[in-house]
Amino acid sequence: MDQVVALWNKENPNIQVQTKNIANDQYGAIGNALKAGTAPDLAQVGYDELPDQRTQGAFVDASACADAVAAKSKFVPWTWAQSSFGGTGVFAIPQDTGPMALYVRSDIFSQHGLSIPKTWDEYADDAQKLHAADPNLTITFFDPNNAEWFNGLLWQAKAKMYDYSGDTWHVTVNSAQSKQVADYWQKLISAKLVRTDLANTSTPMYAAYEKNQIATYVGAAWGYGNFRDNLPDQAGKWTVVPMPTWNGSAASGDWGGSTVAFMKGGQHLYEAVKFNLWLNSDPEALALSNKVGGLYPAATAGLQLPQLSQGVPYYNNQKIFDVFADSSKQVDTSFTWGPTQKAVNVALQDAMAKATAGNGTLTDALATAQSTALSSMKAQAIPAVAGN
Amino acid sequence: MTDLAVTAAGGRRRRGVGRPRAVTILAFVLPFILPFVLFYLVPVAYAVWQSFLVVRRTGGEYGTLYTTFGGFTQYAQALQNSEFWGSIGRIALFGIVQVPVMLFLALAMALLLDAPMLKLKSFFRIAAFMPYAVPGVIAAIMWAFLYSPQLSPVVELFKGIGLQPDFLGPGAVLWSAANVSTWLWTGYNMLIMFSALQAIPPDLYEAARLDGASDWAIAWRIKVPIIAPSIVLTTVFSIIGTLQLYAEPAVLRQISSNISSTFTPNMLAYAVASGNNYQQAAAISVLLAVITFVLSVGFMRLTSRRVGL
Repeated sequence: MDQVVALWNKENPNIQVQTKNIANDQYGAIGNALKAGTAPDLAQVGYDELPDQRTQGAFVDASACADAVAAKSKFVPWTWAQSSFGGTGVFAIPQDTGPMALYVRSDIFSQHGLSIPKTWDEYADDAQKLHAADPNLTITFFDPNNAEWFNGLLWQAKAKMYDYSGDTWHVTVNSAQSKQVADYWQKLISAKLVRTDLANTSTPMYAAYEKNQIATYVGAAWGYGNFRDNLPDQAGKWTVVPMPTWNGSAASGDWGGSTVAFMKGGQHLYEAVKFNLWLNSDPEALALSNKVGGLYPAATAGLQLPQLSQGVPYYNNQKIFDVFADSSKQVDTSFTWGPTQKAVNVALQDAMAKATAGNGTLTDALATAQSTALSSMKAQAIPAVAGN
Repeated sequence: MTDLAVTAAGGRRRRGVGRPRAVTILAFVLPFILPFVLFYLVPVAYAVWQSFLVVRRTGGEYGTLYTTFGGFTQYAQALQNSEFWGSIGRIALFGIVQVPVMLFLALAMALLLDAPMLKLKSFFRIAAFMPYAVPGVIAAIMWAFLYSPQLSPVVELFKGIGLQPDFLGPGAVLWSAANVSTWLWTGYNMLIMFSALQAIPPDLYEAARLDGASDWAIAWRIKVPIIAPSIVLTTVFSIIGTLQLYAEPAVLRQISSNISSTFTPNMLAYAVASGNNYQQAAAISVLLAVITFVLSVGFMRLTSRRVGL
């Protein structure tokens, strides 16, 4: 980020940008800055945090600037829908996304005579076969402390957790589609076909992959460098394929990604719009962000970057970004995050951890998340009802 | 009438010498009072005030937020929250086991260090105190490594003799956190008790020895009763420390899903605050402070008469 900003500052002597890194609890820091009236013009905010921040009055609507409104066509549709709240304004410019895919240890799959799973049913069959052939081998792990990842799976299943209409939030965190996902993973967990003792990107997780104990990874585009950097010995053994689907028709989810939001109290909205659009849609800026930060852009122009159309050596020169680009097109554009998403995620994680410890099920966890969604919105004086 | 005259006379005298003295006192005390008010009383008062507010908004969901007086709404909610009582119950269990174990170890170590025949005293004193110099978060990270089934040489050793310990399992993780606390704080408590032991005049031991008391009897009948006030003091510190427990479980949480975000009251308050519900977090914090006050003062009252504090 610093290098990208330096490039802008060099080319735009009239609009100079300063950056500040907040290592810990960035949303807390932003909230405090807002209360103190010292918020910056722009702040990086994750998609799932946008409604949360907006209900706290964090953003200013940039749609007064024609450039901001006109930028819509430059971005992947769902990213624009989420940062403009379905077109009610322009509160943020999409930065990066995390379209999901399946990372597969092709050597383990061929060793056990398995083919790449196309559906989640086939994936469960493969899980069974792998574990039967080698009790130390599981197909993947389920990290109960990662609601963001689980939400990505819900997103793929077209589980709409929230709907905002008639000035009221309609909360359907435990919809039939969500339950389908929860039941599926609960079966794998109960049958001990997936591990539940590993945290995503933790040292123990890499150790388990290192010891060839896990055969796949349900991940996002931004994570492609993780295996490359942490497991250099497994170069050439990994392949990236589309996520298994629920009913054979292609669908994908998104895990992570951020926007750069316009903060209330900023003094330079026009300049902020200019810089923000450059930062997140100019090919030169995007190329640099991708190079130094591995950023997977939200701008459609970014998906055409030369470095995203080349084969990646670690993955046997597979053009893995083609898979992610396809995935990006399959992401449901109507998915919405809730205005108290953080509280809901925390409750969901605690309840999922209980489920993986054999104390309840993932369906129970969804019910807990549902009631937390309603009670946390009530505490914030946000009108909400259960169901459609 | 005479009373009045005396007061007037006193007043006159004070005006003569007293005022410069008051200014001097103030000048000495201000460097303490000012930060105390600014960084202690004001935040506490702010938290108490916040805990009586509720959030309202005008003009729909994205309308303007404001807070208004809500009476005991936040307290009622906190007291009805099963997570709150769960976290209190968890640290109560933690404290009932961990505090006696730790203080017993600290006392045993202090008495051993005080034993006349022990060589290399200063080395052992420093060695036992060392863990306290390690920041709690670093200690927790280090222990997390020793607990992790994927990385730990300790777990590997257990496997060698056919055992499969799960230090991070649902039943064990509370005690794994207790172990980190014990490791961190035993040396600290030991040092307080050891300092008290050093203050005992040696002629007491001489007299006891002349009466035919063994080392064991001297330790148990003389040393322990005399240092009882420091044992009470370390117990009060430990009770407060237990109620404030945060760093150890928060770090272990990163490698064990069996520690929820609401594992201890402090973690619950943090989780609630990070969900933007500052008023509820303030109420939880105030409740925790009250419980801490009641327990520590209660314990002091209970023991003070016995140990002559």
